Amino acid sequence: MPEKEFEPKILGFFCNWCTYAGADLAGVSRLQYPPNIRVIRVMCSGTVSPHHVLRAFQKGADGVLIGGCHIGDCHYLRGNFMTIKRIRFLQDLLKFTGFEPERLHLEWISAAEGPKFVETVRNFTEKIKKLGPSRLKQVKAA
Amino acid sequence: MDKLREKVRNLLKDNKIAGYIGYIEAEGGHPLPHFFQKDRPEEVDRAIVPPGDARYPLDKLLQSLAAAYPEDTFAIQVRGCDERGLNELYKWGQLDPDKVVLVGVACPQDQADYCECPGPWASVIDYGEKCEPVLQSQRVSRIEAMAEEEAYQEWLSHFERCIKCYGCRDVCPMCFCKECSLEHPELMATGKVPPDSIFQLVRAIHMAGRCIDCGLCEEACPADIPLRVLYKKGNLLVKELFGYETGSPASGTSPWKFLGDEVTLETKPM
Repeated sequence: MPEKEFEPKILGFFCNWCTYAGADLAGVSRLQYPPNIRVIRVMCSGTVSPHHVLRAFQKGADGVLIGGCHIGDCHYLRGNFMTIKRIRFLQDLLKFTGFEPERLHLEWISAAEGPKFVETVRNFTEKIKKLGPSRLKQVKAA
Repeated sequence: MDKLREKVRNLLKDNKIAGYIGYIEAEGGHPLPHFFQKDRPEEVDRAIVPPGDARYPLDKLLQSLAAAYPEDTFAIQVRGCDERGLNELYKWGQLDPDKVVLVGVACPQDQADYCECPGPWASVIDYGEKCEPVLQSQRVSRIEAMAEEEAYQEWLSHFERCIKCYGCRDVCPMCFCKECSLEHPELMATGKVPPDSIFQLVRAIHMAGRCIDCGLCEEACPADIPLRVLYKKGNLLVKELFGYETGSPASGTSPWKFLGDEVTLETKPM
């Protein structure tokens, strides 16, 4: 049997007010994007703890995509100020420990940016496919 | 040592403090953490500054004392790290700076070198003399120089030795949370050793901008995991990204404690 192409599992944390609505727009606009992403809707991207992200990787996610409102557009005014602090810090810490920081991505996507949502998911899925299964997952299998 | 004892004696005599948290030379010469009080003045003659390998989380003891007796003022023996810890605890609302009197110690050079300590003395020095600080950690630089895959293998080999004893957390003077996400069954797998590989990373995140680099975690760890390297790096990143000096009274509030008025960071390109 020919070996199947690697289909990554990607977890998305999308904020209710912007990115989730952007995904909705992509849906109603009938825009196509890869089905590898599983979405968790959160009220604000600032509620996503680094622990949640790490837990996702531990449980076998090959990539984690976080989507929030553009700076200045946060429904809670400044919730996403914390998002970027946390994620930038986490990315750098992952780099230091060799836990593949490129598998974690943060993107600001507004409710009106359906095409940007699709492009982001598509590019991210492509990137994770190229990277292959995550190192953490390989440990588990071994 | 006389200067230190004299200071403690006077503080107790003048009723400036309800007690002094320091170390006592117990029978057989063992240094032990001890609470000195006015009604046992003779004990002050045995108050000591212990050698570097006999350190206890005095800041942690102070926290429980201060919580039990909120009206009282306590004196505490502090090294540079302990004082940074107090500063950080003031910021996090765990201690009241007006109710703490410092009895400061400067660490000897060999201790500073061992700790790679950037500030091995307290702001008041009642014992010891200032030595040369170590401004760059060789242990951190060594990992930074590695390729990612190599660093990963190294860290994984350390994390796999973890027996999940929570010793690092329990000894930590800065771990004051009542609930710990490391004990949350939905966030951390239960009933397996070694624990999830992310265990130490989660702690490292919580320690960033909070770890005062006392090194007690690493000394408490039965598996010799180089936790200190991880937390040192966390603090370096916090400094690099947010300009925050952990434990410094001058550097304002921790970046994790407020949202901020503007965003200077940008999302990383994919």
